[in-house]
Amino acid sequence: MRRLNRVFLYDDGAARALKIEEIAKYLRKELIKVGVEVRGNPFAFYLLQDKVSDYARKIASIKIQDATKKWSSEQEPLYGEIEYEKKMILGKTRASGVLYDGLELQRLFFEVIPGRERSLQFVHIVFSNRLFATWDEHERRYHARVNLCGIPSIISTTGLVEAPAKPRGYYLLRQQYEMLGKDLLELKNSFKGAFIDYEDLRLTEVMKGYAMQSVFYSLVGDPFCQDKGCRLYNAHWQEELIFAQIESEYEFCQRHMSFLEELNEY
Amino acid sequence: MSTEKIEVKEDKTIKELVGEMSLSSAPILLELDGEIFYPDENYDRKIQAGNRLTVIPIIAGG
Repeated sequence: MRRLNRVFLYDDGAARALKIEEIAKYLRKELIKVGVEVRGNPFAFYLLQDKVSDYARKIASIKIQDATKKWSSEQEPLYGEIEYEKKMILGKTRASGVLYDGLELQRLFFEVIPGRERSLQFVHIVFSNRLFATWDEHERRYHARVNLCGIPSIISTTGLVEAPAKPRGYYLLRQQYEMLGKDLLELKNSFKGAFIDYEDLRLTEVMKGYAMQSVFYSLVGDPFCQDKGCRLYNAHWQEELIFAQIESEYEFCQRHMSFLEELNEY
Repeated sequence: MSTEKIEVKEDKTIKELVGEMSLSSAPILLELDGEIFYPDENYDRKIQAGNRLTVIPIIAGG
């Protein structure tokens, strides 16, 4: 088990319902001897003003246009796309409807973190509302993700809504609603509570578990747990994530609880 | 896959190392002497016998 020095939380335009200070408070409670610091937007935090345009261009160039085509470094972004990303960095707009290559996005965040802080002893967690995906070589398509653990770890509030599958019945009924031209909001309301939605009041509580996945990634090299009731469970269904993060009678399984106890004893 | 420590047996480049470990297309970071870097941005970098590297996989969830 690795010693942790500090946890840094960043806000890359995450959902309004996400209370990052509350997550910091939670982490301070769970990781008694590790400092937790809240920073703002990672690009705005680290970059000098004259570099913002460069990074806006870089981010605009990692957009995924077609989920069945792997991202290529030759993509040239349009002026409007760069301006949009500039506004995102400066907090003047929030991402919507754009899909990014997750690994490339993470690489851009990595670039701006100073070398002295690039270490697994520092846990960097970026909360973002950018939707990102990773390429699946076997299926030859992108898959939307909730989190990507690395340096930094990125957690997407949009990915939390879009990536884990909703109840099967929802998709069946959605087809019918679309065919009949019925209001999809009505359908969503009939499934209210069965999945995490945009600006959901449960968002912060759920994200505490995902933040802990990033912590365990640095701590033991593996962010996940097989126990469906543990906050480290890698949920692929909304039902699973709601159970692991909210409904389970315990927060962590015995094994992961003992890691935390050991960490807090140092 | 979780982090793995390896000891380099003979002098080589980063590109040769990741090729031998079949990690050329895997999303990973490497740590050497406290420095963490992307292997594909350091392919020509030389590592020596006895160097200890940590392979840090990037792990996606959800």
